[in-house]
Amino acid sequence: MTAEYSEAVHQHSFSIRFFPQHSQRQKITDLNIEIDGCQSFVVTDDSFQNKKCYGRIAEPHRNFALHIRGKAETGLAIYEEYTDYPFSAILFKTQTDLTKPGKNLLNYHQALGLHKWEGSYDKALYIMRAIPDVFSYHPGTTEVHETAENAFTLGKGVCQDYAHIMLSLLREEHIPARYVVGMMLGEGASHAWVEALCGNYWYGFDPTNNQLVNDEYIRVSCGRDSDDCSIIRGRFYGCGIQQQNESVIVEEIKERIDSYGSDNCVHWSADRRNT
Amino acid sequence: MDDLIRNSETINQLLARYGVKFGIYKNGEFKEQLFPFDPIPRVIENGEFRYLEKGLKQRVDALNCFLSDIYGKKQIVKDGVIPEEFVFSAKGFLAPCDGVTPPKNIYSHISGIDLVQSKDDSWYVLEDNLRVPSGASYPMIARELQRRSAPDVFSDNSVLDNRNYAEWLKEVMDYVNTGGINVILSPGRYNAAFFEHSYFAEKTGAVLTTGKDIVCEGDTLYYIDYNGRKQRVGAVYRRISDEYLDPMTFYEESLIGIPHIFEAYRKGNVALLNAPGNGAADDKGIYYFVPKMIRYYLGEDAVLMNAPTYLPYYEKDMNYVLSHFDDLVIKDVAEAGGYGVVFGSSLTAEKKADFIALLKSKPRRFIAQEVIDFYDLDILNESGERTARKADLRAFVLTGSTTKVWPSGLTRFSRNPDSFIVNSSQGGGFKDTWVLSR
Repeated sequence: MTAEYSEAVHQHSFSIRFFPQHSQRQKITDLNIEIDGCQSFVVTDDSFQNKKCYGRIAEPHRNFALHIRGKAETGLAIYEEYTDYPFSAILFKTQTDLTKPGKNLLNYHQALGLHKWEGSYDKALYIMRAIPDVFSYHPGTTEVHETAENAFTLGKGVCQDYAHIMLSLLREEHIPARYVVGMMLGEGASHAWVEALCGNYWYGFDPTNNQLVNDEYIRVSCGRDSDDCSIIRGRFYGCGIQQQNESVIVEEIKERIDSYGSDNCVHWSADRRNT
Repeated sequence: MDDLIRNSETINQLLARYGVKFGIYKNGEFKEQLFPFDPIPRVIENGEFRYLEKGLKQRVDALNCFLSDIYGKKQIVKDGVIPEEFVFSAKGFLAPCDGVTPPKNIYSHISGIDLVQSKDDSWYVLEDNLRVPSGASYPMIARELQRRSAPDVFSDNSVLDNRNYAEWLKEVMDYVNTGGINVILSPGRYNAAFFEHSYFAEKTGAVLTTGKDIVCEGDTLYYIDYNGRKQRVGAVYRRISDEYLDPMTFYEESLIGIPHIFEAYRKGNVALLNAPGNGAADDKGIYYFVPKMIRYYLGEDAVLMNAPTYLPYYEKDMNYVLSHFDDLVIKDVAEAGGYGVVFGSSLTAEKKADFIALLKSKPRRFIAQEVIDFYDLDILNESGERTARKADLRAFVLTGSTTKVWPSGLTRFSRNPDSFIVNSSQGGGFKDTWVLSR
């Protein structure tokens, strides 16, 4: 991530949430965080156990650049086991302002007839398969804080909207479900999908690509909706105009020895297990 | 007593001069108005106060247990005492606070509990205010000024001294302080209660700040004084609401918040009074469950009654509300300050039908209460005659090493003879509250 300011800014506070973590699904190694012009920053957790880094640059500056690099060994499991405390699933059962269904989503939910399916997993799978029939991928249609209902009514949007719609439907079924931010092999931007609690396991569903989350996915953070997972927040003083660039590169290391280059980017390499 | 009445005009002039004002935003404009003081005090006898004190301590202790529970193990929800949607979908429940334990595990340090007395003399709790309850400074300064004009009145009438509030407040701040100075964080000059912020700073010795001179470095909070010297901050009595507290965690557009103050708090490096996230416990929907909480956490029956309340969320209650609509007052759980309050009997047929439709579509959003026939208090009207008006009492309960009830309080009255709404933001006035030592 890089940002350039046309005039110098100062008292710049920032907070970044884009650090993959160990889980039953993935193993993270060689995690390296660099922030140009900032020697001291703090790495901490948020209430959803996401890794977060924050800091402050007091001196005037015109550039801000963040580089995150690392390796992930993925596909170690197809689910993550649920532990109740300190991370209760109750929080993921209730709708949020962004996922709360309106008239259209409620009608759609009715029409889906989910009572046909008994288990949470089958319901989630059915929802994921159904969404592409009524929603299509089209960047630039929806806004950053778009609600599931609005996006659904528009009929098109991005991965965030797919995820919010799926969350809304799952929660109408009283299935705890969470928003997940991550990266996908071959994509130049961050991605979002959904995890639903089925029995005692969190399973990943990607409604955008209409597939189950597999070893091509690196999980970064989760929350009740996209607002809980905002990747970067900042505040500074100054009247400069900001130009911000973000890029994600995920490369596959087949023999686990490939290296990777390219500057000014969030850089990940996905170490896939060949199954 | 006559002395007090004789001096009331002078007292009001002095209050105006000291800046005892109440700012309100109406139609997008900021207006400052005086908070009119009425010289006839509310008098509470000692025995009655001891009863209130017992009930208020119990209530605030249970509310603190509740907050600690819902941001921790969530046992009360798991045990089915309170439905989860009343807790976790409430606006006041803040997910970033989940799993965070505040210093000394105290969430509500300063609680403002609103009570009314009915005509049969029983007291009812109308509302709990656990976020940033304001108002203690008004009776404090009014008493201070009255003492100057008629010093004997208070000892002759055996009125308990209420000058200890600032001292108690300081004790609470010191008790939870994690090392460093105490500060009072105000949104600034244009806040409704700015007078109070500056008054408390003066009386407690805490530094008054609008946040511009506070920074978070690493996970520690500092105050930077005029000389550029850094001093660590150990406790922040913040008078800005949760949403605006930290633009890095809560409302991003906030200009009055301090970036990363929440991180310092999360790490246990600073105390915030009151703790963020308390809105989950003073929601009007949660109010219904407070007597159940008292039983659940303390194993006691509630000493103080709630006003009889119905939750349209429960079908039985919804039916009752629909069949007794005209006798009830309906409140929007998300609103405060006397806004979003509808008296069933006051609506036209058309508005009533609209409102019932809204109620049916969003049952979780409302509570309905029986209208309590308030015990009226005398006030002096413009021509100096005594006349009766509706009044409530905001009791201040402080929690530090123990929970204490301030032997005074803010008595607010409605100036409009037909109104039950006494909130200062709706143009009400206030009285001193005397607690007697006998």
